[in-house]
Amino acid sequence: MAQTYRSMLIDPMVDNNPITLQVLGICSALAVTSSLKVALVMAIAVTLVTAFSSMFISVLRSQIPSSIRIIVQMIIIASLVIVVDQVLKAYAYEISKTLSVFVGLIITNCIVMGRAEAFAMKNPPFASFVDGVGNGLGYGLILMLVGFFRELFGSGSLFGVTILPTVNNGGWYVPNGLLLLPPSAFFVIGLLIWAFRTWKPEQVEEREYSIQAVEAH
Amino acid sequence: MGLRSFFDRIEPQFTKGGKYEKYFPVYEMVESFLYTPKTVTTAAPHARSYIDMKRIMTYVVLATVPCVLFALYNTGLQTNLAIAEFGASGWRAGIIEALGIGFNPANPIANMLHGLLYFLPIYIVTLLAGGAWEVLFATMRRHEVNEGFLVTSMLYTLILPASTPLWQVALGISFGVVIGKEVFGGTGKNFLNPALVGRAFLYFAYPAYMSGDTIWTPVDGFSGATALAVTASEGPAALPGYGITWMDSFVGTIQGSMGETSTIACLLGLAFLLATRIANYRMVVGCLVGMIAFSSLLNWIGSDSNPAFATPWYWHLVMGGYAFGLVFMVTEPVSGSHTNLGRYIYGALIGFMVVMIRVVNPAFPEGMMLAILFGNVFAPLIDYFVVQANIRRRARRNA
Amino acid sequence: MPDQDTQINTSKNPIRRFLDASPDGTAKTVTVALGLCLVASMVVSAAAVALRPLQERNAALDKQVNIIQVAGLYEQGIDVAKSFEAFEPHVLELSTGEFTDQFDPYKFDDRAAADDLTLSIPLQDDPASIGRQAKYVTVYLLRDADGALDKVILPVYGYGLWSTLYGFIAIEEDGNTIYGLQFYDQAETPGLGAEVDNPRWKALWRDKKLRTEDGAGELAITVAKSPPPEGRDYYVDALSGATLTSRGVDNLVRFWMSERGFEPFLKRVRAGDI
Repeated sequence: MAQTYRSMLIDPMVDNNPITLQVLGICSALAVTSSLKVALVMAIAVTLVTAFSSMFISVLRSQIPSSIRIIVQMIIIASLVIVVDQVLKAYAYEISKTLSVFVGLIITNCIVMGRAEAFAMKNPPFASFVDGVGNGLGYGLILMLVGFFRELFGSGSLFGVTILPTVNNGGWYVPNGLLLLPPSAFFVIGLLIWAFRTWKPEQVEEREYSIQAVEAH
Repeated sequence: MGLRSFFDRIEPQFTKGGKYEKYFPVYEMVESFLYTPKTVTTAAPHARSYIDMKRIMTYVVLATVPCVLFALYNTGLQTNLAIAEFGASGWRAGIIEALGIGFNPANPIANMLHGLLYFLPIYIVTLLAGGAWEVLFATMRRHEVNEGFLVTSMLYTLILPASTPLWQVALGISFGVVIGKEVFGGTGKNFLNPALVGRAFLYFAYPAYMSGDTIWTPVDGFSGATALAVTASEGPAALPGYGITWMDSFVGTIQGSMGETSTIACLLGLAFLLATRIANYRMVVGCLVGMIAFSSLLNWIGSDSNPAFATPWYWHLVMGGYAFGLVFMVTEPVSGSHTNLGRYIYGALIGFMVVMIRVVNPAFPEGMMLAILFGNVFAPLIDYFVVQANIRRRARRNA
Repeated sequence: MPDQDTQINTSKNPIRRFLDASPDGTAKTVTVALGLCLVASMVVSAAAVALRPLQERNAALDKQVNIIQVAGLYEQGIDVAKSFEAFEPHVLELSTGEFTDQFDPYKFDDRAAADDLTLSIPLQDDPASIGRQAKYVTVYLLRDADGALDKVILPVYGYGLWSTLYGFIAIEEDGNTIYGLQFYDQAETPGLGAEVDNPRWKALWRDKKLRTEDGAGELAITVAKSPPPEGRDYYVDALSGATLTSRGVDNLVRFWMSERGFEPFLKRVRAGDI
């Protein structure tokens, strides 16, 4: 086995993070990160779906006809997503209202498909499960980081608990409205990628070209 | 030349191997700000020109002088007019009373001074906050601090409302410099105009401070709609009811961001930039044609539910930030198109978008800032198609 | 390895034989596809059916919480279903202001009714930008301990800047004094228009009057930047920086409180008929 279970879990956090390095799953990261609570539920949902879909696909991997491979993966993922969506509606109605369509869109989240195709089709079930958990957590980590900045500076609270009392409620903090708009997650994720690459310079892609010094004639 | 000899004496400490080698960019910035740069092109085959970047930037700053002067006058005028009604308060009023100049709106000196007391703090904070980022990045990247920031800081100050809180000024310019410019590699590599990026950041982050009727004149209790807000909600026919004539708007004695109310001051700057050939006339022509054509089309179509459709082009010209953006932002060479045909298209796109946003979008009464940023994003694509078309034409010709 | 192949193909167990067959054969492709679809559809429908009662309860509770909140009775941790028993739902015919028994008020779906061609009328003059208006809506009555009317809670909705705002307005027993206004579904600009949810702004509605002369006069309530000539009792300060959302709220409140909205019903409330 090339990877230990430990590295399967840890690598997707920073070294091979699905959002900051592979740049997958950005859509939902923009949409659900304006509050930490919602981001947390989304992170858990994606982790569950990635882990279990990877596991089921891995169990079936030798039986899946290659001609309908993607469709089979989609059916498994979609079923899991619908189950998660139904469970949320039943047990976390408020949050499912905020997440609305984005739970359904986990189906199209590239991270889930990406792990199924790149890992689960070639590895045994338990390893696939661990890999799915790792990638889900890596995604969740970034979601939580982005959610932290957006909720703290956009609404002056964390998990709905007021940290910086806002002007509209009689406090002193003027909330930054940009952070409540989805595009701001682009800036936050961009800055995170910048920070990660400053910390781990090996993540920086090689230049596609280089400027060569030419001897004077 | 005591100063020159001082620089000569300390220079070795900043050059390679010196004690403060790391801070060479800071040294170079101060030195070349006061004297001409030492590194000049000498050998063939370089073409020599008297225009270098420093001169371009200096000329643009010079071109803003009429706008700055009018910004001081109009900010003071509007404030003094409002004070006559609502009374004066704050440290600025204290200074003015201490000097014994008073708040008479008929006295231009009093207006200029009062305007200066609003303009200067914003400008100084812009220079300090933005300058700190410039120096930081220059030091980290070991290159020289670029004069471009002098232009950015001046333009940024001019497009802010006089009531902007200073911490927002600092935050906005920081965002503009870092996200609008430095992350893409610094001056010359920025595909967006950093001053506008900072302004747009403030607009979306603190909309209550950047839009509405109460922010344009910094006096508590005052409320005055801009010409744009009036046309967006009630159409241009309602403007005289608010005491706004076309001439007021052209001269600039109206509500608005500090430096952008006066069309005539902007046009003076434009004349200077065109005469010195700093600004490319193609972008200006494109932007005018785009605006005039599309607003005339909307006039002709007409609308029952949206009175802003009836706004004629000569009103679009003098309202909001159109003239200022046209002169100082559209013509900015780095973030615009670089091919001649592309410059016409780029200008026309902005002219079209500004009318589109002002008239059709219900949420934003002003469209110049967003239209220019939109144009900036499309500029490389426009260039790409112009170059491709050129390649195809040549290929056909030589086939 | 011909040895192994023969061994597999001759296996007695048909399941073993199926599992070992190459997955790319046509028969196997079809079987896998069908089998998977069957299993997946069973899992999905099982989840949906098993959880539906809970979900419906949640949706109902959510609406009830909003009604309780607008009536000012909500506290953290109360038993929502129990508190809601204090409210009497009725389906109201808007044009007459009379209750109707045609529909079960616990089942009647207001939003579906507004889209139903037989239950709604198209609007020509449409200040709230709602397109079609239902002929019947569900209203809630709150009575005090002696059975006297305390408040009526009326559903209102209309278009703001980006979205349709859905909410409830609570009116006192005099049929003219507003107790509260609350939106439960809106997607206005965060920090500007979305401040319709801000408790401080909602508090402005308390004790405002709909009409002059204790209800006999003209509809005067307005959301504006400055008070109307009728005075501050009829005035809610517009949200700063959110001109269009404020105008939307103004339009929808004035529309629903007009003759075309709840005025026929409110007349009866004022007369003490309810």
